[in-house]
Amino acid sequence: MKIRIRRNWQRFTLPARAFHLLGLFLLRRPFGQQIALFCRAVASVFSKNRNLKTDSRNIIMQTFFTAVEIFPILFIVATLFGTIVIIEVISMMSKIGFADFVGSMIVVVIIRELGPILTAFLIAGRSGSSLTTYIGSMVINSEVDALATMGVNPIRFLVMPSLIGGCIAMFIMNIFFSASAIFAGYLVTKGAIIITGNMMNIQLTWSYLSTEILNAITLTDFIFTILKPLAFGAIITTNACYQALNIQRDVRQVPKAVSRSVIKSFLYVVVADVILSIFYFVDYMNNLSTLI
Amino acid sequence: MFDEALRMEDIHLAYNDLVGAMFSKPRILGYFRGVEMDPQKELISNVNLSVMRGETVCIGGPSGQGKSALLRIIAGLTRPTRGNIYYFGEYIPPEKLTALEVAKRQVGMVFQNGALISNLKVRDNIALPLRYHKMGTASEIEDKINMAMDLMRVRDEADLYPHMLSTGMQKRVAIARSWAMDPKLLLMDEPTAGLDNYNRRNLLPLIDNMRTLFKTTILIVTHDLMISKELDCNICFLHRKTLTEPKPFEYWLNSDTDISKELFRDLRTSG
Repeated sequence: MKIRIRRNWQRFTLPARAFHLLGLFLLRRPFGQQIALFCRAVASVFSKNRNLKTDSRNIIMQTFFTAVEIFPILFIVATLFGTIVIIEVISMMSKIGFADFVGSMIVVVIIRELGPILTAFLIAGRSGSSLTTYIGSMVINSEVDALATMGVNPIRFLVMPSLIGGCIAMFIMNIFFSASAIFAGYLVTKGAIIITGNMMNIQLTWSYLSTEILNAITLTDFIFTILKPLAFGAIITTNACYQALNIQRDVRQVPKAVSRSVIKSFLYVVVADVILSIFYFVDYMNNLSTLI
Repeated sequence: MFDEALRMEDIHLAYNDLVGAMFSKPRILGYFRGVEMDPQKELISNVNLSVMRGETVCIGGPSGQGKSALLRIIAGLTRPTRGNIYYFGEYIPPEKLTALEVAKRQVGMVFQNGALISNLKVRDNIALPLRYHKMGTASEIEDKINMAMDLMRVRDEADLYPHMLSTGMQKRVAIARSWAMDPKLLLMDEPTAGLDNYNRRNLLPLIDNMRTLFKTTILIVTHDLMISKELDCNICFLHRKTLTEPKPFEYWLNSDTDISKELFRDLRTSG
């Protein structure tokens, strides 16, 4: 025996119903739910329970948690990555006769593309996973339910500080990554050149490298170094919190949620990077048409 | 009508809805899902309950009957498949029935495991909702916390973390935390489960104090039937998916129904 109750929305007109079904279609997918979670977290900043002192303390703690503890690993990865890029670029570019493009190649690879992505991967692997475990175990112990029954909005109390803290930490860490990839990478490259005994053959000086990079960098690169880390940080923390809040009171779901959180963060970050890179493509096409 | 704390009319809950409203999902989704009524798949069907202000009611029954689920429905954590709930005479439509909305009407809940926030000290645990809702100045909040800790006798443990406390202590802290919010209706999930006799005897007078001093309406879910005798309150049973009328302990002890045959057999023989 099945009874179907007729609700209000079933009396909508046709276009309204189409919109309604489209909205439900989006909200039933994890992607739409994550966007909704992000919007709710941003909206909760302005709720009437705001308290500058506790909020800023939570956000700063989250920033420290995300940024400071990952710094040694990030520094080493950035240095070695920068070394590889500088060595490859210098050896390849002079071989194929594009020695003038050393600076722009370094800018494209380190500052524009792989710097933000590698930083995002490191932060997703460390902070995203620990955030999922933290909130997930709170869900398992019904602490999130307890918060809600006390009238404390879990989205405001848990998701919002990690979202803002994650974005800030991602922004700072991205600058650290690019800086240490270029500075420390330069020093290690110098060391490698000395060790291999090629001092005479390769003339790599700091003034040459820095002028090349400064000539190649543009305003859009600056804008994207701000925009990309913020977008990636929002994606990583929203995804981590979503996967954690989605656990259904079962301890075995926590490790699954953690692995989903990390892997999906990787996926979403790369997809977002491609979408942001379309801007450069459009920019290039515009320049092409002016040239012709 | 005005002295009614809680009224539930025709509450149904299917097994599928047991998971409850999750904060990762927009709450509108549950409302627009097609409602299927299949009596076979229902955990709770046709529950009616009305609790007066200042009254204490126990909900008993063997485990696995959905007592805790019923309490989760009242707290707004689980959306009933069908049915109306009135808090203090005010109807909350199903699309607005969330835990946050219910908590606004001063309904507190004590969880079975206490559910203290594990990275906060006992004092901060009690202070958290007060500070979040900005209920008074810092000194007022401090007074309130101390009062709650004195009432539940956990003052000495104020600077410990929840994992350092015993289960009974955690439960008392959880009750203190709910009490600090000045609830008009307090829901308690198995307050005496897992406690030894000594702690149990200590806890019951505390609940009794709270009831007499602050006129709190208390709803206790328990499988410990003696609570209703010791607190001198009515008890009703979740039996065959539905809730019986609240009756005093003596009524059940001497009546001839299935429930009293099943559950009160031991108590009868012992005395």
